[in-house]
Amino acid sequence: MIFFFYLFAALAICGGLGVIAYKNPVTSAFSMIVSFLGLAALFIQLDAYLVGILQILVYAGAIMVLFIFIIMLLDIKEEEEKTFSAGRIFSASIAGIGFLALVTLVLVRSGVGHKEALPEVAGLGGAGKSDTHHIGELLFSHYWFPIQIVGVLLLVATVGVVVLSRKQLR
Amino acid sequence: MPVYALEIIVVGIGLLMLMLDAFADLKDKRAIGYLGVIGLIAVFGLLFVVDRTSSDSPFWQFYSADGKSMFYKGIAVLTTLIVLLMAIDYSPVTIAQTAEPEEGAHPQAGLGEFFSLPLFTCAGLMWMASATHLVSIFVALETVTISFYVLVAYNRRNVGSLEAGVKYLILGALSTGFLVYGMAWLYGMTGSMQLSEIATKLQADGINETGALFAFALLLTAMAFKVGAVPFHQWIPDVYQGAPTPITAFLSVGSKAAGFIIFMRITALYLGNGYLVGKITLVLTILAILTLIVGNLAALPQSNFKRLLAYSSVAHAGFLLMAMASTPTETVAKSGESMSVGSVVSFYLGAYLLMTLLAFLVMTVIRASTSGESISSYAGIARTNPFLATALLFSMASLAGIPLTVGFFGKLFVFKLAFEQEQWILLACGIIGACAGFYYYLKIAASMFLSSPNEGETVPAIRVSPAAAICMVLLMAAIIYGGINPSLLLKLVG
Repeated sequence: MIFFFYLFAALAICGGLGVIAYKNPVTSAFSMIVSFLGLAALFIQLDAYLVGILQILVYAGAIMVLFIFIIMLLDIKEEEEKTFSAGRIFSASIAGIGFLALVTLVLVRSGVGHKEALPEVAGLGGAGKSDTHHIGELLFSHYWFPIQIVGVLLLVATVGVVVLSRKQLR
Repeated sequence: MPVYALEIIVVGIGLLMLMLDAFADLKDKRAIGYLGVIGLIAVFGLLFVVDRTSSDSPFWQFYSADGKSMFYKGIAVLTTLIVLLMAIDYSPVTIAQTAEPEEGAHPQAGLGEFFSLPLFTCAGLMWMASATHLVSIFVALETVTISFYVLVAYNRRNVGSLEAGVKYLILGALSTGFLVYGMAWLYGMTGSMQLSEIATKLQADGINETGALFAFALLLTAMAFKVGAVPFHQWIPDVYQGAPTPITAFLSVGSKAAGFIIFMRITALYLGNGYLVGKITLVLTILAILTLIVGNLAALPQSNFKRLLAYSSVAHAGFLLMAMASTPTETVAKSGESMSVGSVVSFYLGAYLLMTLLAFLVMTVIRASTSGESISSYAGIARTNPFLATALLFSMASLAGIPLTVGFFGKLFVFKLAFEQEQWILLACGIIGACAGFYYYLKIAASMFLSSPNEGETVPAIRVSPAAAICMVLLMAAIIYGGINPSLLLKLVG
């Protein structure tokens, strides 16, 4: 099992690196799908089947189609060769490496790799039902209030998209 | 009427305004704005009479109706109200800078959404004020942020507004990433997402302190971005300058107040654990020192008024952080007579609302008639527009913290708190910041009253709409009343 974890984690990271490394936006977008597939596999390994499937359906499916559609519509060519000043490269690497070092330090010191370091969390209750069933039940009973706010959020986003894209900018 | 009906009413008014814009045949779309203003006045009145009793239902794990949330709901409603008034006066600019007029289209197309979107933002801010669960904090915060992305970029034909929108979108998304990562760590360390449960778990023995502190660091990054604390303030000047003026006011007051209540609620989680408190106070102190110094000193050379107010908002975030960094620790705990950190921060934000909104209101009125936003275009404005100049003078005096204004008491309480907690370095930085503030705020006042206008830049006499004039007089009265007798505001703060 642990072998598969490393396999899919490596897949997700390689996909992520591909997104920033490739110059062609279409290649970047496809690297992102690879990364999402790796993540979905990791979720499934954690018995979170619904999240894993949603990751594939929503992200790798719907959202990436939209991405590629827009890239094709806008007819974006390969990114031009950009040069960055030495100072900018330096500060960006300091920030990146610093954050990586911080996360590593925290992971080592907090010992979250060991099960004992973390509190027990109750799983989704009730045997014999799928986790889709449990999540759906929770969302529309216990979590009804945040779901309502999400409704307003989506309304605002819809109105915003209409407002910002109504007519051609001249 | 239950307290959660308030947000439902606000969303309902927003929907009604959208529907009116789409289906009613209005000659003057500013009527939609006035409808919003009237609705919000009614909601503000209802704030004082709603039923605040809670029950055992799971809803009250997500939502609280304590005095603090009611105060911040009041701030949200009042800010939105004044922002709508500004937006009404600002409508000539909005019309000119949104869509190109088309054959057969309404001459004010694009104005209706500019009035209705702030209502949804207001509902989001009110939910943020009540949020007591990581999930409700997140969804309320996102409602606010997403509507701000749209509003900041609203003037689509203005490159500055678009640039501000893109910058805010990218940096806002990044800070949301930090927020969610921090929440994940907090959940991982405590196994709960409900704030009061997290607070109990963090006090218990055997809590993973490294993990809890890392969660705080990530959450702090996101919160510092929202309230504009140094070094996460770089977006503020550009976004404030590029956004439509009423939206700048909204960002600077509404977004900041809501950011601070979440900031306080998250910081409060850690206060029960002696080890964590020490670390957190240290980080907050460093953040406050940086914010005070950078915000105030960077404001000094500014020549654009909006940019100056942007740095001023960073500087005020510094004073607020100064109060938060002066959390009483057990070693220096004094008698019960000193004010709590929460009350000091709330009082300061209440005062900040009055004076900042007054400044932006005057600025919007002037901006709608002239095109200048630089400080030099305000020179000698007192001769042609004595009323506007007086209003701006009141606001600047209060922002600087001159006695007899409410801003003075705001700063006084913060300094008193820092003094009681023996935060000497912080106190010194605060004094340097306040002195710099005197210079750059009063520079504007001096330019308005003492210097003569530049050649060919004379500002004509501007007609102020009655609603805006009444609002300005009320704000001026509140600034002076709060400066003579702060007890009313203190009572509201609790």
